[in-house]
Amino acid sequence: MCPAGKLLHTSMFFVCVWIAATSAQAQHVLVTIPGPSTTEQIDYYVARGWADREVDPATSCSDREFVRRLYLDLAGRVPTVQETDGFLGDQRDDKRQHLVDALLKSEDHVQHLTDVMDALLMGRTDEDKYAERAAHHWRSYLEEFVRQNRPWNEVAAEILLARPDNQSERGAVWYLYERKNNHQSIAESIAPFFFGLRIECAQCHDHMIVDEIKQSDYWGLVAFFNRGKNTKTKQGPRVVESAIGGFSEFADLTGSSYPNLLSFLGSAPLNEKRPAAGQDQQDLDTLYVSGKPSDAPRVPKFSRRQAFIEKVVTGNRRIALAMVNRVWAMLMGRGIVHPFDEMDSMHPPSHPDLLDQLTIEFINSGYQMRGLIRSIVRSRAYQLSSRQPSGVDDPASFAWYLERPLTAEQMARSVQLTVRGEFKNDAPLLQAFRQQFRDVLPDTFVAPVADALYLSNHPAFDRFIRDSDEPAHLRERVLQQPTHSKRAELLLNTLFHRPPATSEQKAITDFLEQRESNLGSAIDQAIWSMLTSAEFRLNH
Amino acid sequence: MNQRSDKSSHCGSPEHAVHRRLFLQGSMASGAASVASFNGLFSIPAAAEQARQQGKKCILLWLCGAPSQFETWDPKPGTSTSGPFRAIPTNLPGTHVSQLMPRCATIMDKLAVIRSMKTEPSEHFQGIDVLTRGDQPRPPFTRPILGSAIAQQLGDLDSPVPQFVLLDPCPEGNEFKAFKSGNWAGWLGAEYGPVRAGGKYSIPNLGRLDSISELDHQDRETLRAFLSRKYENDRRSEAASSHNAAFQRVAGLMSCAPLFDLNKLPPADRERYGPGAFAQHALQARHLIENGSTFVMVANGMPWDNHVFQHEMHQMLVPELDNVLFQLITDLEDRGLLEDTLVIAMGEFGRTPWLNEARGRDHYPNAWSMAMSGAGIRGGVVHGATDKLGRNVVEGHTDNRQLFATIFRALGIQPDEEYDLPGLPTFRRVEDDAKAVEEVLL
Repeated sequence: MCPAGKLLHTSMFFVCVWIAATSAQAQHVLVTIPGPSTTEQIDYYVARGWADREVDPATSCSDREFVRRLYLDLAGRVPTVQETDGFLGDQRDDKRQHLVDALLKSEDHVQHLTDVMDALLMGRTDEDKYAERAAHHWRSYLEEFVRQNRPWNEVAAEILLARPDNQSERGAVWYLYERKNNHQSIAESIAPFFFGLRIECAQCHDHMIVDEIKQSDYWGLVAFFNRGKNTKTKQGPRVVESAIGGFSEFADLTGSSYPNLLSFLGSAPLNEKRPAAGQDQQDLDTLYVSGKPSDAPRVPKFSRRQAFIEKVVTGNRRIALAMVNRVWAMLMGRGIVHPFDEMDSMHPPSHPDLLDQLTIEFINSGYQMRGLIRSIVRSRAYQLSSRQPSGVDDPASFAWYLERPLTAEQMARSVQLTVRGEFKNDAPLLQAFRQQFRDVLPDTFVAPVADALYLSNHPAFDRFIRDSDEPAHLRERVLQQPTHSKRAELLLNTLFHRPPATSEQKAITDFLEQRESNLGSAIDQAIWSMLTSAEFRLNH
Repeated sequence: MNQRSDKSSHCGSPEHAVHRRLFLQGSMASGAASVASFNGLFSIPAAAEQARQQGKKCILLWLCGAPSQFETWDPKPGTSTSGPFRAIPTNLPGTHVSQLMPRCATIMDKLAVIRSMKTEPSEHFQGIDVLTRGDQPRPPFTRPILGSAIAQQLGDLDSPVPQFVLLDPCPEGNEFKAFKSGNWAGWLGAEYGPVRAGGKYSIPNLGRLDSISELDHQDRETLRAFLSRKYENDRRSEAASSHNAAFQRVAGLMSCAPLFDLNKLPPADRERYGPGAFAQHALQARHLIENGSTFVMVANGMPWDNHVFQHEMHQMLVPELDNVLFQLITDLEDRGLLEDTLVIAMGEFGRTPWLNEARGRDHYPNAWSMAMSGAGIRGGVVHGATDKLGRNVVEGHTDNRQLFATIFRALGIQPDEEYDLPGLPTFRRVEDDAKAVEEVLL
């Protein structure tokens, strides 16, 4: 681009920013002035943040660093040697963008993003419950959401309404259903995931520091869902909603009582007639929509869940805001608001204009995750080296790529792929790992000693390495190499995606030389040493 | 809005901070708290070395839920608040304890009892917080728990034996359960948090697999450490540093696996301490202290919260405590360890002088008792007093800060020392220049 063009572009951009800033408070205002791409806007705002903070960012990452990082972040696994070499050999100037687009279309991306969404929406669980999530189509529902790049606002509404009218939506029921009529647990999960707010504090009192979170919000959100009851129907599990009940009072710390009105985050309380104290409500058929098939659950004429979608969810900017910040956190290592699900007045964004702009763009795009992800990974900040520049300490500056541990699934796929050349998403190793490495997007990474003990002594991991003894597996391929030096090269290239440094080559060569009598076993141990080293364990 | 602030993210209850962690670890959904708590509380060694001071150690018998002072150290025989149990004389002339404590009555010359505890919080979570950390919360800063503060001062971080151990076999415990999932080490950092063991919380994966020899196990770790350290050093990576620190701890922990095996303790000792989980873990605490741990906290969920049938419940709980304290103190003395080992028995507050309708005693922070023995403590002292009915402290009022100043002093740790916390407000080990209870100190 010529300098003149750049200038023009930049001034256009400021117009766009100005409009965005003035419109940020109003909902539904869509800024449609043609201007710089979302990626260019990210680059602009993040660079402005560096200037404001007077920091110099890290250098750009190398192609080698980029290819491993991008595979992990988008495909949920490390690349193979062939994939790495193919990328390094690609002579196109825009090869990084080509790789981004290819990976976003891949089935691996669907599986990876589904893993993360599932962990954040539902929490980690035991294997029986994972099986239930699959059997009741929750897993495939999430997969389709990612695969089809469906609008998040529509999916959010389906999940929260939990009243599917076709086969493809039926899995949406499981979000509420798995919570087994625990309406407080439902509310405490909806607030952070859908609205980016933690409200547990407000169970007993108005939030003492975050003024906008009231006790009435907590109990209001509970009330929207407290008429639901898990029911097994001929169509499958359903959360059947009653037309009556669900009225209660909550007491604050002074002992004063208040009705649990249908209201959340400042929405006007819905006008619903409350029965007088002691008055019984009749669960009359007339309170329900008629004309449903006889074996379908009744639907109340006034559905609180429906009202929640219409009055609170639809058009609520927070639905977009929370998702944008979460996707940013997934890719950048921390949210623009950190922690990513405490987007309240006590946690100001590090880049408020950027967050506003990304949210507007996300809404404009029809709430599509894939475009947002593409824009972020194409940004300069995403493609910085993970070496923290000296003198720069604030991770909120995004002045270097923040290292993060692989999730259980990323780890399990990557171990399988490197050691055996292929992976399965239902492998016992993956199931074992997700019971051990449970954190996803931790606020800070503190390696538990329990994990180190697990990797050192757990039979499942040990057996996986020892049983990888087929000709195509890494051990056998390493054995076939003519020299220890070549063996070290193959090990490093496969597991670390780079050639060995001299010192590394010597260390591995020495290690193998001392174990000539049982070389296969020695190679297993070398593979273990690399799989459990920080370079493999972290995305960087 | 959008103003930077150093105020807290939440309302001051650390319970809130752990919510996401619990959620992700699945313990909210499936009750899999064993894994969650274990991971959360497991410590990592710090690279920093702390000089070992004086070799003092501490066992805290954490009587969570809060025992009644009337049925333990401060009986009020013949009054309306006394309950059904008598008071008995002790080997300390003029001092009586509840008849439920006949064995401690014979070693009162080794014990210091404070009968004049008066603290603020009357709910468990807040009470546990204040009586294990020593001060009211000041969010967002988290004061380290007593065990972390002491392990940091007195512990030998190069030792393979964990310096701060929580023995608590009970996964439940109402507010204590929530508290256990929180941040224990606070601003000292996770490396000073406890290793949790006890009951089903045996430490998993401590044993070497048969498929690998001891030598190979060591050698592959040496290779791992070389490669991983190279990565860490090449880029000054904090994440890698944490990862490597965790692995550095593995060999040491494996070597002390037998210390955590109750079945390896002498059967005669196990019989003396009694069959209950609390008793067995008190014995294990002795064993850990003998073998190099610095601070062992023994708990058993939250059994002392007897709002219902208080007398019947205390009739079971107090005799067990009585025997455990007796065995522990005499054992430590027999082994020459009592001089260097402080034993503390307390909960988070006391119980009401009156009974509720369910014949229970409710929470009562206004006047309650606790006991100590061993390192730095003058035995045979009863400090402070309550009025005739035990409603109020009339002499020797002691609050949580004074108690903590006393504990630190007994262990030779300077109570008013500032923490070295660059960028944070000034915090002292004990705030406000609170004075130790000199009477109970040597």
